[in-house]
Amino acid sequence: MPAQDPIVSRSTSGIMLVCALLLTATLAWSLYDEAFGQRPWKGIQQQFVSRYTKYLRSIKAQAGKTEAEVKQDPEYQTLEGEAQSALDAVKPQTADIDKKVVQIQRELDAVTEPFQNQRGKLTVINYNVEIAHPNAKDKYRKQAQQKRAEQVEVDLPAADGSGKINTQKMNYDQLEKLFNDLRDEKAKLLGEKAELLKQPTELGKKRDDYLKHHMTGLGPGQIDGLIRKMDQFDYSILPHQISVNEFNIVDRCEVCHVGIREPLDLRAEDLAPGGPGKKPDSLARAFVSHPKKEILQIHAPDKFGCAGCHWGNGRATTSEEKGHGRHKFWLWPMFEKENTEAGCQQCHAKDRVTQGADTLNLGRDLFYQRGCMGCHRYEGFDRESDSLGNTRQSIAQLEDQITGNQKQIRLDENPPEGTTDEDARKMLAQSEALKVTNSVLAARIDQLNLQSRYLMQDQKKVGPNLKDVRLKLRKEWIPVWLANPQGFRPGTKMPTFWRFAEHQDNGGPNMRDADGKDQIEAIAAYLWQDGFDGKVPEQQRGDVGHGKELFESRGCLGCHSIGDEDNKIGGTFAANLQKVGEKANFDYIVRWIHNPRERWAPYCPKEKRDLTSEDYAKHNLPFVFDTELHSRCPNDGAELQVQNMTVMPNFRLSETDARDIASYLFSLSTPPQYDAAAFMDSPELRDKGQTLIKQYGCAGCHEIKGFEDEQRIGKELTVEGATPIERLDFALLTKKAEEGIDPLNLHAAPEGSPAPAHKEEKPWYNHKGFFEHKITEPSIYDQGKEKDPKDRLRMPRPYLTPEWRNALTTFLLGSVGAEGSNVPQSLFYNPEDTRRQDIQNGWWVIKKYNCVGCHQVQVGQRSVVMDLPFYQTPEGKDLLPPRLTSEGARVDPAWLLRFLHDPSLSGEKTPAENAAITNAAITNAEQAAKPAAAPAASANNSQAASGAAAGRMPALPAPAGGTPAVPVSSGSNPGGGHLKAQPGLDRNGVRPYLKFRMPTFNFSPNELQTLVRFFMAMSGQQEPYIKEPMQPLTEQEKLVARQMFTSGTPCLKCHITGDPTHDAKAIAPNFLLSGERLKPEWTFRWLLDPSQISPGTAMPTGLFRKEGERWVINLPNPPASANAYLDDHARLLVRYMLQMTPDEQRRLLATAPVAPPAAKPPAQNARLKTKGRGSEVAFNKGRRARRPSIAAANAGGTLAVPVLVPRFTRPAGM
Amino acid sequence: MAIRLSKGKLITLGVVALVVVLAIFMVEDWHQLWVISSAPDNVPIVAMLFLVPFFTWLGIKQSNANDRLIEELEADPKLAKTHHRKAEPWRPGWAREIHVWPYLVRIEFLAAVIVTVVLFVWSITLNAPLEEPANPNLTMNPSKAPWYFLGLQEMLVYFDPWIAGVVMPSIIMVGLMVFPYVDSNPLGNGYYTLKQRRFAVGMFGWGFLMWILLIVIGTFIRGPGWIWFWPGQTWDHNAVVFDKNVDLHDWIATSRIGKALHLGFLSNNPFKFLFGFFVVSGFFVLGALFFHWLMTVDFKRITFRPLRLFPKDPFEQKLLARTSLLQYVTFQFFAVSVLLAMPVKLILRLALTIKYVWVTPWFNI
Repeated sequence: MPAQDPIVSRSTSGIMLVCALLLTATLAWSLYDEAFGQRPWKGIQQQFVSRYTKYLRSIKAQAGKTEAEVKQDPEYQTLEGEAQSALDAVKPQTADIDKKVVQIQRELDAVTEPFQNQRGKLTVINYNVEIAHPNAKDKYRKQAQQKRAEQVEVDLPAADGSGKINTQKMNYDQLEKLFNDLRDEKAKLLGEKAELLKQPTELGKKRDDYLKHHMTGLGPGQIDGLIRKMDQFDYSILPHQISVNEFNIVDRCEVCHVGIREPLDLRAEDLAPGGPGKKPDSLARAFVSHPKKEILQIHAPDKFGCAGCHWGNGRATTSEEKGHGRHKFWLWPMFEKENTEAGCQQCHAKDRVTQGADTLNLGRDLFYQRGCMGCHRYEGFDRESDSLGNTRQSIAQLEDQITGNQKQIRLDENPPEGTTDEDARKMLAQSEALKVTNSVLAARIDQLNLQSRYLMQDQKKVGPNLKDVRLKLRKEWIPVWLANPQGFRPGTKMPTFWRFAEHQDNGGPNMRDADGKDQIEAIAAYLWQDGFDGKVPEQQRGDVGHGKELFESRGCLGCHSIGDEDNKIGGTFAANLQKVGEKANFDYIVRWIHNPRERWAPYCPKEKRDLTSEDYAKHNLPFVFDTELHSRCPNDGAELQVQNMTVMPNFRLSETDARDIASYLFSLSTPPQYDAAAFMDSPELRDKGQTLIKQYGCAGCHEIKGFEDEQRIGKELTVEGATPIERLDFALLTKKAEEGIDPLNLHAAPEGSPAPAHKEEKPWYNHKGFFEHKITEPSIYDQGKEKDPKDRLRMPRPYLTPEWRNALTTFLLGSVGAEGSNVPQSLFYNPEDTRRQDIQNGWWVIKKYNCVGCHQVQVGQRSVVMDLPFYQTPEGKDLLPPRLTSEGARVDPAWLLRFLHDPSLSGEKTPAENAAITNAAITNAEQAAKPAAAPAASANNSQAASGAAAGRMPALPAPAGGTPAVPVSSGSNPGGGHLKAQPGLDRNGVRPYLKFRMPTFNFSPNELQTLVRFFMAMSGQQEPYIKEPMQPLTEQEKLVARQMFTSGTPCLKCHITGDPTHDAKAIAPNFLLSGERLKPEWTFRWLLDPSQISPGTAMPTGLFRKEGERWVINLPNPPASANAYLDDHARLLVRYMLQMTPDEQRRLLATAPVAPPAAKPPAQNARLKTKGRGSEVAFNKGRRARRPSIAAANAGGTLAVPVLVPRFTRPAGM
Repeated sequence: MAIRLSKGKLITLGVVALVVVLAIFMVEDWHQLWVISSAPDNVPIVAMLFLVPFFTWLGIKQSNANDRLIEELEADPKLAKTHHRKAEPWRPGWAREIHVWPYLVRIEFLAAVIVTVVLFVWSITLNAPLEEPANPNLTMNPSKAPWYFLGLQEMLVYFDPWIAGVVMPSIIMVGLMVFPYVDSNPLGNGYYTLKQRRFAVGMFGWGFLMWILLIVIGTFIRGPGWIWFWPGQTWDHNAVVFDKNVDLHDWIATSRIGKALHLGFLSNNPFKFLFGFFVVSGFFVLGALFFHWLMTVDFKRITFRPLRLFPKDPFEQKLLARTSLLQYVTFQFFAVSVLLAMPVKLILRLALTIKYVWVTPWFNI
């Protein structure tokens, strides 16, 4: 029996069944995938709706309670009553109207359809008429007429509303008329109704507003609304998507982050899976509302989307990885939480300070202050050098033009033989014109020269002037410092040049060049051999205790810090001074503290060299240079660099004080023995050093001889964040980065912390990872690479705290330029109003000079000195430099300009004095010409230069300007004064009672203008400010004002008068200044409530109370004359104060309670010396006595004023 | 019980063992290998690594079975009329012919269902591998065509773009179209056979495997910068290779022998053009001779003997006799310019760094 035919006999049903089942299953699977698998957000939305509804229910009861409370309010009930009665009053009329409208609507409904049908048919016929052949037109016209005449049946309801139907026949015109009439009538009736309801609606709105404004949070009605919204939630993408056609933005973040814009402040706990208040999961964290809603108000998501700022893939909805752009193919992932502010930088790239972006601002500060910009260009960061370059170029161009014109003039004036008369005339005319042009050009060059002088004055360097090393430093210390700056001064701005550094921390491999030590020696040799040679005037050591007090109280700590690593106090803007004694020459430091801007020799940018006294002697000029009258080169008239390029200002200290401070600083450390450094005099090393200095770009931060015009050596970073990831060279670390192996362990949990920051190692093959690693350990991407020394990375390792690292990374991540930005360029922050421009311009200057070290410039910002331990008591707080939050509103801009120019307000020099300076200088010119003579110069703009050989020449008695009372330092210092006189010595212009000293910054007119405009803009002040004329006071008014001035808390108790005896206890400015200084409007507001303008001020609050429309003095027993004065008391006082004269003040003093005669010597200087040497405790104790004490005022009061208790912002005596 | 293995199985096992051992010793970076083979776009080519050998094996197996059957049938005239059923030869009691419906259609239907299921599962589990947004300023590296075009892209390495991108594909397509017309063999339709279509199957297999090989090279071996990375080497974006290719005439002119023979003139213009022309013409002649040899050779007994016009085997003789001159020349043209030129150029480029053989102002070969 043969086997069965396998093909015919084999059954395929089994396998067919299996396949069919499989097909069905995959079909089901695909349907599921279509509905849910590819739409995971649906489940997320369902979760949100259920959790949010639960949460809303849980808070509703509470909201109901508060609403009920508000509704109990009598005021609410009155409003409610009014609204209700208004509504009741019109009710019969509205009901009548409603009835009529209903009837009309019925008729309208009946007529609409037949009318519209006829109209449609007619339109068609008319269209046919239009397009028909001329011969056929008549046919259609006839048709139209027939249609118009056609009678249509209309079932109109009876007018009495009985429900009967009248069937009528109408032609088209009748229909049209009926339809229009009915419609008009309906509109008229509705209009009437709206008119009737107007008053009730308004009252109702008033009532609702009252409820809204008096309820905290949402009312139950609103919550119900939200619950209802959740009930009708649309589980799809479209209603949750932001789409901005104009900018090509499609953003679906809110498909999952549904709670982002909910009116409640949703926290993760509120939406926890187990119910409100339970432990939140990751979904709950995704459902929260935006943590900074105020930012959304300015940057409406409907306009910007979410991914515009946060980055990530705004369109992806299928997974968190894709939506957040963590997919490897999405080039621009969402910024990590700590770098969110990078998004701000995209559009705010031109800002110096962006409100609310603290991390980003810190990043910008660091980039500026830590010297990154010394090597790396970043658009906008080197305003001065850029403009200076441009200015110099313009000058050169104009000069060329003038030369060209002169040539042409010569040609024109000597016409060749055979020129016709007419041509000759023309040529003469042309030469005339060119002469005029040249004079115009010359005028422009003058302007540009002036500008370049200002710019040179404004141009600063982060590091010290290394031309001064011979004068300033111990020779042997230089190589020690170069080898390891962080070892000598932890946290210093000077980065570690790991290619020649001796230490390799961070545990990485030693990346030092083979000839590292030689490099150090060569650089040191160049610096040493190319420094200024000379000798600074010798100084004796001074009083350490006094120096300490001055150092701590004058304001040095606003920028500098002092103390060892863990006990540091003070700012990070400038160096830590703990070990300055180990490295520096005492004499130089005294000279530096006395006036840091004083340059040893001027630099001529045209000749590209430092001038010597011989240059001046050749032209028979004294060796004198300053910013004002002697800023030009004697050889070629070019504007000179006459100041040190430091931001450190002049504190107008006397020479003794400078010596005391230096002595204090030198007392903090004992200089060790350094290895001898004879190699520093080797000429071969010098040449090698020159190459190295060029290679490492030292001149980016330092002034170095021969490198004045050195260009930046680093890469421009303006759009560094937009570099495609492929172009960031991770070198041999690429794989490790992708796999998340981090040799630096940057995000490891800090020791001892309970939970690690990142549980697993995250891949860092992204921009953030690249930047973080590069700035932490620049050598990292050179590790393991075979490179020639010349190709190796030159970037040194900066000192960075984790916070700083993050700030800088944020700044770099956001630096993407217009091309790399996720936001269209038209949305960039580019303020057109000058006010906001002024603010940003101002911030550059404010940050440059670190004004915020001492002042509060902006609400919420803290200055460094505010946090110093000495100023933590209420008394201490009174001693802080003034808050500048409303400076622009407070002061007259013209006055502010003068003050910033010279904060001592000691007045300008007279022409005679200027002449004296010049004469004295000329007399000394001969001596100055001697090469051996140590050059000395005055960089202070109102300072007398007393000659070149400072040590040998007696100092010229300095003209003391408008303040003859101020002692002249040079004459009065027993230690042998060698330094130049200090104008405005020891004098604070506005607040002499403060120990803080507003220093002289030598701002150029450009910067002065910028600053003034900044303060005006910050306070929203009008530009220009035109002073309102003050109405003079009548005798009667004067009397009233005088009495108010002296009653209650007598004003002069605290405000200084210029009388030393009186001022010993004063803590407020002089009224004599106020006329030119203050703005009347601000003064008025200040009088009404000073604590609102400057919280914590010692100025008492509640001096006036409102009586009708006017403010009257708030005393239990006001002076009788005041009662009789019917105008505004506060305004009267403002007028009185701003028109105060010395005579008037004396008069006041005579009536005011006189302070007990001061036991201390009257001069401020002396007082400081005697009283100030104690500890801070004593220091504060002394101040406490001077706080305005009402009890004391009353006890000592000569006026019979009953005890009065004005409201103080802090209880007195605290 | 001793396990007995056939020779073929032993060879297969040996090859597999060799590949495994090589892999274990040579692969430095398994991760890289995994990254390439797990990429969603590479699913088909990875599958082909297994499917192509499997179906080749299956085809050969069935061909061999058929060939044995043919021999058997031809030997026995009684069975001659039953030769329609080749896959499972007719036995007494069976129907001599079987209907397409239902016996074939149901199998095709099953195949369609299975393919549908596979496609469903594939498309649900692997989404289209979208990559980064296009940026004309920054192309991805390596920038690869879809897998089925990778052979074409790989060809760009060996030929001038115009040849590789336009001429060659056209020749290949026209060549495929020409097949039926140059084929003078009436046998072998509708069943697997090697014996009856030795040369045709061999040529097609050669061409097909070459194409697959190019795709495999393009997928697994070409890394960033289109640099040659052996499977298991890390695709290093910073990898550096020294790769300098010279044209044949320069190669000869500057070689030691060329210098000795004073062949420097070959690099000069009309000479280099002529030189290339002669080399290519010579290549065509030699190639044609090579293919003719292939047609006539008996692989079981390769002996060196003078080339003869007609093969020994009577069947082959008959076939060649049936072929017209036009058919013969057409076949030779396509065979030499595709089947031979491609591997020869590949070897020239990869092994001898020869850039072009024939350089003209209009095209380079």
